[in-house]
Amino acid sequence: MINHHLSDEMILAYAAGSLPAGQAMLVRCHLDMCPHCLQRLMDAQNVGGALLDELPEMDLNEGGFDRLLAQIDDMPVLDEASSHPDHTGVVEGEVLAASSSHGPDMPALLHDVMGHGFDDIKWKLVGPGIRQFILPVQGSEGEKVRLLKLSPGFVTPQHSHHGSEITLVLKGSFCDETGRYKKGDIQEADDDVDHQPIADTEEDCICLTVTDAPLEFKKMMPRLFQPIVGI
Amino acid sequence: MRNMQLTVGILEKGRVLATEDLNKLLVTLGRDRCKACFRTLFEHFAPRLKSFFLKVGTNEEVAEELIQETFVQIWRKSHLYDPSKAAASTWIFTIARNRRIDRFRSEKSFVYRDDQYFADMLVMEEQQIDDVYRGELNEKIKDAIGLLSANQAEVVRLSFFDDISHREIAQKLSLPLGTVKSRLRLAFKHLRTILKEMDQ
Repeated sequence: MINHHLSDEMILAYAAGSLPAGQAMLVRCHLDMCPHCLQRLMDAQNVGGALLDELPEMDLNEGGFDRLLAQIDDMPVLDEASSHPDHTGVVEGEVLAASSSHGPDMPALLHDVMGHGFDDIKWKLVGPGIRQFILPVQGSEGEKVRLLKLSPGFVTPQHSHHGSEITLVLKGSFCDETGRYKKGDIQEADDDVDHQPIADTEEDCICLTVTDAPLEFKKMMPRLFQPIVGI
Repeated sequence: MRNMQLTVGILEKGRVLATEDLNKLLVTLGRDRCKACFRTLFEHFAPRLKSFFLKVGTNEEVAEELIQETFVQIWRKSHLYDPSKAAASTWIFTIARNRRIDRFRSEKSFVYRDDQYFADMLVMEEQQIDDVYRGELNEKIKDAIGLLSANQAEVVRLSFFDDISHREIAQKLSLPLGTVKSRLRLAFKHLRTILKEMDQ
């Protein structure tokens, strides 16, 4: 049961295609798990469709449709053969890793980027009880996409944000001043949030986190870590 | 209700096509590989898509290429179109959006690689929404957009068509980011309220 959903702004920006790569990836991973937000995405895309229909019509170059017909006539017959309604929705070569291959916990898109599941992640220790793995996702300038693993019993250094931090829980749960976050939950933290997450069960908590500016830690100890950690 | 049998012959040039007509054309294209339907869809959407692609600050040549790419995808994927899930304009919007991302924002094209995936995942369990409903829905959304305040409509349009982030919209309009976000939230709430009323 997911309790913390994506904000309207994130849904709209995803529908419009205007989120940076890392955030878009995180949103998509959440949508994989959350029918509620998926329905909201559909609504947002309907808005896009309605707006498209109302855009002014602009003159096309001559012969556009004929060029198009020539192009589709040249397309390999293979396309036609695979064009029967396909109830799995899989179009050859265009669908992401099938759900069976990535285990129960990791969203398909993430598995696709990582090339493996949680068990094979090469975690780096960044502080007591905190491990991270930086994902090779090229987002906008300053955007950083990482997996974080919080071990039970350790408190993440209190930190605040210059930019935004968005987190999706993939495994386990954590809590902080703003509430409790379980698998599938989203936390969007803005400039004004100042928090200290703690994994609050026996299990490690694994999160996908996207930040658009470096985090700022409050206390001395973690600040010493910061240059090494690069959080 | 309206159970109009759509035959391509009826569609005279210049006639304004209703949402429902467009949905049926796309279904027929998927089922019968109907080139006349394809042409009608092209004549309706291509001039609008040109506006859409030109808004990103690209030139005519690139806009025309992207229109071609979009329609190749429409041709290839039309058999997957399901009118109970989205209006034709919505389905075509997502394809055009993905073409634009592929061209200008290739760093995130992997995220949007197959948006059809979502349309398939979403199963309406409680009720089978019919084509007529989706047709009405699209009209309702258009009406609802017309009723948004000018401020709200502006941020919604900018976010959908100018391919800029909310932060960039804030800069462009010289507004705090929070104001842009709250306008978007209010606009979306308003639109969703209308959608919910239709569900009842």
